[in-house]
Amino acid sequence: MGNHQLTSLIRMANQIAANNTHIGDDIAEAEMVADHMTKFWARSMKAQIREYLEQDGSELTPIAKQAVSLLKH
Amino acid sequence: MIQIFDPNVDYNKDYGTPASVSENLITLEIDGKSITVPEGTSVLRAAAEADINIPKLCATDNLEAFGSCRICAVEIEGRRGTPASCTTPAEAGMKVTTQNKRLGKLRRNIMELYISDHPLDCLTCPANGNCELQDVAGEVGLREVRYGFSGENHLDAEKDNSNPYFSFDPSKCIVCSRCVRACGEVQGTFALTIDGRGFDSKVSPGQNEAFLDSECVSCGACVQACPTSTLMEKSVIEVGQPEHSVVTTCAYCGVGCQFKAEMKGAEIIRMVPYKGGQANHGHSCVKGRFAFGYATHEDRITKPMIRDSIDEPWQEVSWDEALNFAATKLRGIQEKYGRESIGGITSSRCTNEETYLVQKLIRAAFGNNNTDTCARVCHSPTGYGLKATLGESAGTQTFDSVMYADTIMVIGANPTDAHPVFGSLLKKRLRQGAKLIVADPRRIDLVKTPHVETHHHLTLRPGSNVAFVNAMAHVIMSEGLEDRDFIAKRCQTEAFNAWRHFITEERHSPENTEAITGIPAAELRSAARIYANAKNAAIYYGLGVTEHSQGSSMVMGIANLALATGNIGREGVGVNPLRGQNNVQGSCDMGSFPHELPGYQHVSDDAVRARFEAVWGVELDNEPGLRIPNMFDAAMDGTYKGMYCQGEDIAQSDPNTNHVHAAMRALECLVVQDIFLNETAKFAHVFLPGSSFLEKDGTFTNAERRINRVRKVMPPLAGKQDWEVTQALSNALGYPMNYSHPSEIMDEIALLTPTFSNVSYERLEEMGSLQWPCNDNTPDGTPIMHLDSFPIGKGHFAITEYVATEERSTRKYPLLLTTGRTLSQYNVGAQTRRTENQVWHDDDVLELHPQDAEDRGIKDNDWVGITSRSGETVMLAKVSDRMQPGVVYTTFHHPHSGANVVTTDNSDWATNCPEYKVTAIQVIKVNEPSEWQQRYHEFHQEQIGHLHSARGEKRSGSVAGE
Repeated sequence: MGNHQLTSLIRMANQIAANNTHIGDDIAEAEMVADHMTKFWARSMKAQIREYLEQDGSELTPIAKQAVSLLKH
Repeated sequence: MIQIFDPNVDYNKDYGTPASVSENLITLEIDGKSITVPEGTSVLRAAAEADINIPKLCATDNLEAFGSCRICAVEIEGRRGTPASCTTPAEAGMKVTTQNKRLGKLRRNIMELYISDHPLDCLTCPANGNCELQDVAGEVGLREVRYGFSGENHLDAEKDNSNPYFSFDPSKCIVCSRCVRACGEVQGTFALTIDGRGFDSKVSPGQNEAFLDSECVSCGACVQACPTSTLMEKSVIEVGQPEHSVVTTCAYCGVGCQFKAEMKGAEIIRMVPYKGGQANHGHSCVKGRFAFGYATHEDRITKPMIRDSIDEPWQEVSWDEALNFAATKLRGIQEKYGRESIGGITSSRCTNEETYLVQKLIRAAFGNNNTDTCARVCHSPTGYGLKATLGESAGTQTFDSVMYADTIMVIGANPTDAHPVFGSLLKKRLRQGAKLIVADPRRIDLVKTPHVETHHHLTLRPGSNVAFVNAMAHVIMSEGLEDRDFIAKRCQTEAFNAWRHFITEERHSPENTEAITGIPAAELRSAARIYANAKNAAIYYGLGVTEHSQGSSMVMGIANLALATGNIGREGVGVNPLRGQNNVQGSCDMGSFPHELPGYQHVSDDAVRARFEAVWGVELDNEPGLRIPNMFDAAMDGTYKGMYCQGEDIAQSDPNTNHVHAAMRALECLVVQDIFLNETAKFAHVFLPGSSFLEKDGTFTNAERRINRVRKVMPPLAGKQDWEVTQALSNALGYPMNYSHPSEIMDEIALLTPTFSNVSYERLEEMGSLQWPCNDNTPDGTPIMHLDSFPIGKGHFAITEYVATEERSTRKYPLLLTTGRTLSQYNVGAQTRRTENQVWHDDDVLELHPQDAEDRGIKDNDWVGITSRSGETVMLAKVSDRMQPGVVYTTFHHPHSGANVVTTDNSDWATNCPEYKVTAIQVIKVNEPSEWQQRYHEFHQEQIGHLHSARGEKRSGSVAGE
C-alpha cells in the first residue's frame, strides 16, 4: 500500500475548500465542501481522508479539515 | 436560411434551390398544375416539389441559385423571353410552362455547346451511372453536336491527383461553378475560384495551385456538388458506382453528421453527407467524409486474445474462452481484494446502448459504482457547471440556432478544426454580419478567415479564464447592462443578490484583472458591451474552458453571463458546449459517471435506485464509485486491481503518462475492448475485439442533445457488435443479459430515464432524430431548452471566485503549454492515423512564438526537448505567430510524441477533469528522442511482437502506433 491516493485526496480536499471560500462563514463553507465530497467521492476515498484526519490531518487547510470532520461514517 | 427537418421532403432528391422558410404561402400554376409554396421559393423548386422536374446543371439545393447554365429556362405567361427558373421567385398567380418545343430546342442548343467541349468517354467514365450532365443530355434529347469536336477545347487539361481522396479532371469541367460556390457558401473556405474569362475560364484551387497545396480543407463539398466526374472520389474511380446506401451517423466529433454510407455489397465506397441529417444538412468534413478506411485497416484485431502477464505473447482464443478467462480473473480479484477492487470505463465512441450496458454491467455485475468515461477528461465540468446553474447537464441550443445569433462569443474552442461542420455554419452566420468575440490564447483560424471580421480577439493567458469571465460580468453589472426583467422573472433572487454583491467588487474590474488575464481593460470592456447589448448573444465553448483547475467554475461563470443578460431560452442565444467525441454527451447521459445513474440521477437517491433495482433485479450501491484518476491512484496503492475498458485509450489520452502507465502495470487484470491494439491494450490481459460504427446498430447523442440513429452497414469483422460483447461478458460473470437488438436496450433506457421516456427506435425512424428531454411534456423532443423555466425552477447564479492554478511559469519552466487538436486528426489518432489523413499531419509539432524560438535558437523543424515537472518528451518545432509569447501549443494525436508525458495530474476542483491547458514547461534544442520515447519505442516493439506471436506471424503489418 502506497499513499498515492491519500496525496491526491488531500490535494483535492484543499482545492475544493479553496474554491468555496466566498460564503464568509467557516461552518457553511465546510458544510459545502463536505457536501461535495459526500456527493462525488467514493466510499473508500471518504474513509481514507477521515482516517487521515484522525491520525494526522496536518496538510489539510482549516476549512478542509472541518469538512472532513463533518463526513458521516 | 435554416433548413428544418420535414418528413415530407425527400432528402435524396435535389430540389434545385434551397427551401424557403417563409410562413406566407403563395399559389402558382406550373404546366397547368396548381402548386402552393412558401414565398421566396424559386420556380425551379416549386416545380420540383410537385414532381415536375425541370432539367438543370448549375443549380443544386444546398447552394443559392446562380443562373449560369440556362438549362432550367422556362416560359412564364405575360413575361418576355425564357427566364431561368432557378433565379426566378415563384409569385402568386404565375403561370409557368416548363416543356414545349421552343424550350426543348433552347436546352438542346445549350447542351450541344457543352458537349462540343467534353470528352465522349461516357462508358469508361467514373461518373457513368451517376452523371448529371449525361442525365440532362438524355432529358433534353441531345442527338447530335453540329459543331463537331475538332475545335479548340479543354480535353487535354491536366488532372490533379494531389488530394489523397479525390481527383480533379478539368477536361470534364463544364464551369458551372457549383464547386466554387460550395467551397464558399457551404464550407466557407473560399479555396476555389474561376480563373480566367470566357473560353479560358477554369476552376482554380488557390492561385492555380494543386488542391493539396491550396487552402482546401478537403471537406469534399466540391466533390459532392460536381455534376460531372471532374471532381470525383478516387474510391469510385477505382471500383465504380455504389449500388445501395444506408443512412448512419458519423463517429468522429460531437457534431453528429449523418451520412449515406454508399456501398457495394458489404464494402463501403464512399460517405456522402445526408441532407436529412439535422445537425449537418448535407455537409461534412475531411474526417467524416473520407477518413473511414480505418474500419477495414489491416491492424483491426478480429480474434479475442488472452495472456496471464503483459510480458507474455498474446494467445488467440474463442470468444467463450476469452470471456470466461476475463470473468474468472475479475471475480477472483473481487474475492481476494473486495467488491470495490474492480471497475470499468465506458466508451464515448460507442453507442448509447453500448455505454448503458457497460455501466449496467459495472453496477449490477461488479456490484459497485466504479464506472467512468472519457468525459472525465473533457467535459465533466460542463455537466457539473450547467447542472448547478441551469439545472441540466447539457447545452441549451440546436446548432442551427446560431443562424439567429447577433453576437457570438467563442471561448476556448476551435470549431473550424475540431467541429468543422458547425464551424462552417458559424462562419456563414458571421458572413451575414453577426459579431464575433474570440477568447483564446492562440489565434485560431476563425479569428482571420475570408469575409469574417473578429471584433475582439481576447488573447487571455492560460489559466486566467475565471478572472476573465468575472471581469466580463463585472462590466455588465457595473455598467447596468444586465437584463433586469429576465433576472427578476427567471432567476433565484437570493443567489442573484449574493452574486451581484460579489461580482461588483472592484477587484473583478477589467483594470484590476488585466495583470492576470493579459487582456487590455478597454478591449474587455468593449467585448462585454458587445455581448450584453446584442439582441441575441450566444456563447460557444470547448475544452479551453473545461480542462483547467477551475473548469467547473468557468462553466458556471459562462452560465452567469447568459443569465445576467437574459440570453437563455430562445433561438440565437444560450450556452453551447462543443462536445469532443461523437457520443460524449450520450455517454454522460447514459450513467457513465460514478455518482450518477442514467439521466444524471444520483446514486444516493433511494427512490431512483429502487426503480433501477426493480428492473435490473439486483441491489445497487448507494455510494459513488471511483473516477478515472482515483482509479489510477488506487491501482498504484494496490486497492484497485481489475478493469474493463471499452473503446477508450486512457494510456495515451490521459495526463501524466508515466503515472498512468505505472497504474496500468499494477493491474492484475485489464480487459480491453477495442478495434485496434491501442496504447491501453498493450497493458491488457484480455483483448475483446470491438466493432466500428459501421458494424453496429444503435444511437449516438450529439452536442445539441440530438439522438441520431447509427445503422449497421457491414457485418462486424470479429462477429459481435460491442453491445453483444458486453452482454456475453455479463453472462459470463453470472449476471444475465438477454437483449436481441439495441432497440430493446433503448426501451429499457426510456423506462428508467425520465428525459428519455418517449424515445424509441420507432420514434427515431419517424422523426429522423430526437433531442432530449423527450417525454410526455415534450413528445417530439426539445430543440431549445429552458424556454419558460429551468429544471431547477429558477436559474442559479453561482459565485465563481478566481483561484490561480498551482501550475505557474517559473524560472525553471518559463513557458505555458496548452494542448489541442488539428482538423485532419482525431483525438488519440487511432482512427485517423490509419487513413490518408496522415498527409496533412503525420506528426505532432510544438508551435511556439518567433520570440520564444529566437531566445532559444530554435528554427522550424528543429528537434526540441519539452520538459515539465511530470516528464520530458521531444518533438519538432514549428515557429508560429499564432501563438502569443510565453505560450506554446501541441496536439496529442501520435502516441510516440508523448504530449501527455509532459502534462500534469492537476485537475478541476469539482470534477478532476485534467488541466491539459496549462503546463509549465521549458523548451530547448536537442538531438535525440527523450528517454521516455526510447522506452516507449522498445515497449511498443515488444508488444507488437507479442501480437504477431499470437497470429503466428513474423514481424509484419503496420500497427500504426509508431
